[in-house]
Amino acid sequence: MAQFIINMNSSLPSNQKFIIRVLDKTHLFVQPHVAEMIRVAIAEFRESNTYGKPP
Amino acid sequence: MPQVRIIAKNFIDMVASLPAVKLDMLYANPFICEAILRSLPPLAKKYVLQMLYIDAPVPAKSMEEWVLPDGLSKHRVAIDRLIQLRVLTETVDRKKETSYEMNQKFQLNLQKQLIYGGVLPRESMPSNSVMLPSLEELEMYALEQWEVCTFPAASYQLQPSGKVNKLQFFNDEGFPTWPLESKVFHFIIEKEGSRLTEYGFQFLLMDTNAQLWYIVREYIANAEERGVDPASIISFLLELSFHEIGQAYNLNTLNEVQQSTIKDLADLGLVKLQQGRKESWFLPTKLATTLSVCLSDTSTRRQGYVVVETNFRLYAYTTSKLHCEIMRLFARVEYQLPNLIVGAINKESLYNAFENGITADQARFFFFFFFIILFLQQNAHPRVAEKTPTVPENVTDQIRLWESDLNRIEMSPAQLYDEFPSKVNSKDLFEAACDYAREYGALLWEDSKKMQLVVKSELHNEMREYLRRQK
Repeated sequence: MAQFIINMNSSLPSNQKFIIRVLDKTHLFVQPHVAEMIRVAIAEFRESNTYGKPP
Repeated sequence: MPQVRIIAKNFIDMVASLPAVKLDMLYANPFICEAILRSLPPLAKKYVLQMLYIDAPVPAKSMEEWVLPDGLSKHRVAIDRLIQLRVLTETVDRKKETSYEMNQKFQLNLQKQLIYGGVLPRESMPSNSVMLPSLEELEMYALEQWEVCTFPAASYQLQPSGKVNKLQFFNDEGFPTWPLESKVFHFIIEKEGSRLTEYGFQFLLMDTNAQLWYIVREYIANAEERGVDPASIISFLLELSFHEIGQAYNLNTLNEVQQSTIKDLADLGLVKLQQGRKESWFLPTKLATTLSVCLSDTSTRRQGYVVVETNFRLYAYTTSKLHCEIMRLFARVEYQLPNLIVGAINKESLYNAFENGITADQARFFFFFFFIILFLQQNAHPRVAEKTPTVPENVTDQIRLWESDLNRIEMSPAQLYDEFPSKVNSKDLFEAACDYAREYGALLWEDSKKMQLVVKSELHNEMREYLRRQK
């Protein structure tokens, strides 16, 4: 999941990059306003990995 | 075990928190004295009965001799409880020795109760003048009324399209028959969004006794706002619990306050009101009599009705609409037959419950699904209740896994401290800063090689002060 966020960060244009520092393999220090965006991105990632039986 | 946020607080705790004057007035009623006696821990009961006919104060030392040394903690608990309820009063005499004296009113009334056997201030009406419903009918009535009250809480759910699902038998305002409306249910339902709050979700999954306690407690707490003395309601409720189930009592034996209270109690299902040609009367139901009896633990539970299978299917043998709504909260209901509700638990339905019941406070996410599992376990059908585990492990494990999937990331506002000066003692400064943060539980991450640490934002000001002082 950490790698996922780092990847997302590098795919953004440089004025929108939010990671201040990568602390270690499981901790990241980011700017405060991206919290919600990260949550939404993770939710999308989770949905795309789930199989839903078509009705 | 997480803290259940709605703690069905003991009725007697509420009585104990009344101001001294009101409590003394309450003890004028012999039934209250008996109810209080019933609620005491066993050792305290023994003390009360022993001191019942002793008029002079009893020195504390001689009371301590009544227990064996390893019972002293229980002794202290009992004495504290008695003092809290103002049954015993503590006096210190000139020799600086404490002794305990029993509350005069309490003592007198309890003695009366013992001698005369507790005659109710009203007699039940003779059976030839009233038509009594049978005990089963009365119980059905009580359950129905109770469901009518808690049902609105369950029926307020957001459908995926965003429309609120209201049922036909409530008009557009929402709660036409429930007199206490927003006061009692404001914590359950957010009025603007018409969504079930987290507390509401927990409330629905609690068992009936706990729910009843909570509503009664709120009702009494609101009484003062409506201009009714809470002590008189408490004394009426306690008196009511000594009446016999199913016997009719004339309404004209109640005073004004009690008459207005009884209407609200009828809505809750605690009593049933009936009218004859000339007179009207009320019948206490099981809910009323269990009010004072089940003071600390839950007594008679309703029979469970839920069977959970290892293929994640749910079978609920019930006819109640309330149960159907509760099922809909966290499972996908597939069929509804006359006495059976068939559903399935899957990821979408659980996440749906999550969205309906949770506001954006991440810290509470962890134990949310725990309540669902607890509900399933507590309401297990008798056929599966003997099996262990009552709910199959793969179901509980999967529910927990789905829940933890929601919590992949933990976020907290924090400050990063780096560039500790490369002086000789900076290593000590770094260690000291780490320890300081750790003491307050605010240290989130540290790296001693790079000399950096991350501390929760709440401690930032104190941290700055600390570092300034160290320099």
